[in-house]
Amino acid sequence: MSAPTMEERKACWAARDEFWRCLDTHTEDAPRCEKLRRSFESLCPQQWVKYFDKRRDFLKYKEKLETEGFHPAETDGKS
Amino acid sequence: MALALLPARCLRRLSLLPPRLLPAPSRGLSGPRGGPPSALPLGRRVAVVAAVGGAAGGAWLYLRARKERERRERRRRELRALALGQGDFQLVDHRGRPRCKADFRGQWVLLYFGFTHCPDVCPDELEKLSRAVELLDRDAALPRVQPLFITVDPERDDVAAVGRYVRDFHPRLLGLTGSPEQVRAVSSAYRVYASAGPKDEDGDYIVDHTIIIYLLGPDGLFLDYYNRSKTADKIAESVRRHMESYEPLLD
Repeated sequence: MSAPTMEERKACWAARDEFWRCLDTHTEDAPRCEKLRRSFESLCPQQWVKYFDKRRDFLKYKEKLETEGFHPAETDGKS
Repeated sequence: MALALLPARCLRRLSLLPPRLLPAPSRGLSGPRGGPPSALPLGRRVAVVAAVGGAAGGAWLYLRARKERERRERRRRELRALALGQGDFQLVDHRGRPRCKADFRGQWVLLYFGFTHCPDVCPDELEKLSRAVELLDRDAALPRVQPLFITVDPERDDVAAVGRYVRDFHPRLLGLTGSPEQVRAVSSAYRVYASAGPKDEDGDYIVDHTIIIYLLGPDGLFLDYYNRSKTADKIAESVRRHMESYEPLLD
C-alpha cells in the first residue's frame, strides 16, 4: 500500500479538523458528530485515524493540565 | 619618611643638625659614587628591570600564544576526523543513484529523518525545512543548501515511494533510502531513534521516531540541530549565522 499523496493528506487533515471542531462545539458528544466521524474515517488511513484519536486525547489532556493545573487527588481513584 | 611630614620651617631648623642625620642627599642615587646596593645609576637600573620584566612578559605571551595555537590545532584535527568519519552513510537517492556522505562535501545540508506514511509530523517538518531553504535561496550571496530526507521505514519506502514523496516538497529535496541495515546504521550515526508500531490487518503501521532537523557544514561536520519548536524563519536565521561564521576545516 503506497503512502497517501499530498492531496490525500490534505483531505484527511481537513476531515479531521472538521470532526474535531464538531467535538469542540458539542463538548465531546461523539454521536452528534457521527457523520463527520465517518468522513474522517473514510478519508484517512485506519492507522492515521487511530493516531489522530490518540493525539486528540493527548492534546485535550495537555489543555486540561495547562488550564486547570495538575490535581492528582482528583483523578477517578482507580490508579 | 617622618621628615617629609614636617612643615618647612622645621626642616630649616633641622638643617642645623649634623649632616649625617639628615636624609641622604639625592646625589646618592644618581651620582656615580653611590655605594651598594645603589651601585647602578637609576636610568640603568630601570633599564635592567624593564629588560628582565619585558623578557619574562614576552616569554609568557609567547608561551601562551603557542599553547593556544596548539589547542586550536588539536581541536581542528579532532573536528577534521569527525567531519570525515562521523555520520557517514551508504544509501540510494530517489532517482536510484548511490549516495554517501562524501558526495555532499562542499555543500550545506539540512537533513531530516522520517517516513512517507507519516500522518502529520513529517509533512509539517519537511514543509518547514523546505520553507527555510526557500528563505535562504532568496539571498543570492549565500551558498545553496541541499535539503535531504532519509527514511526510517526502509521496508515500505523504496526508491519509487521516496521519489513520489519528495515531489511534494522543495524541488531540490533529495530522498534517501537503503537496506534495513544501511538505514539502521545511518539512524544510529545521527542518534535517531525509530521504532515501528504494531501492524494492522492491512499491514499498515506508524513509525515512532526522533523529530530533529540537522545542519551539516560543507566539511560534513554536524553544526546544529532544530527541534519541532523552531520555525522556518528561526532555522534560516541560524543557518545564515553559521554560514557567516564558517571557517573551512578541510583543504
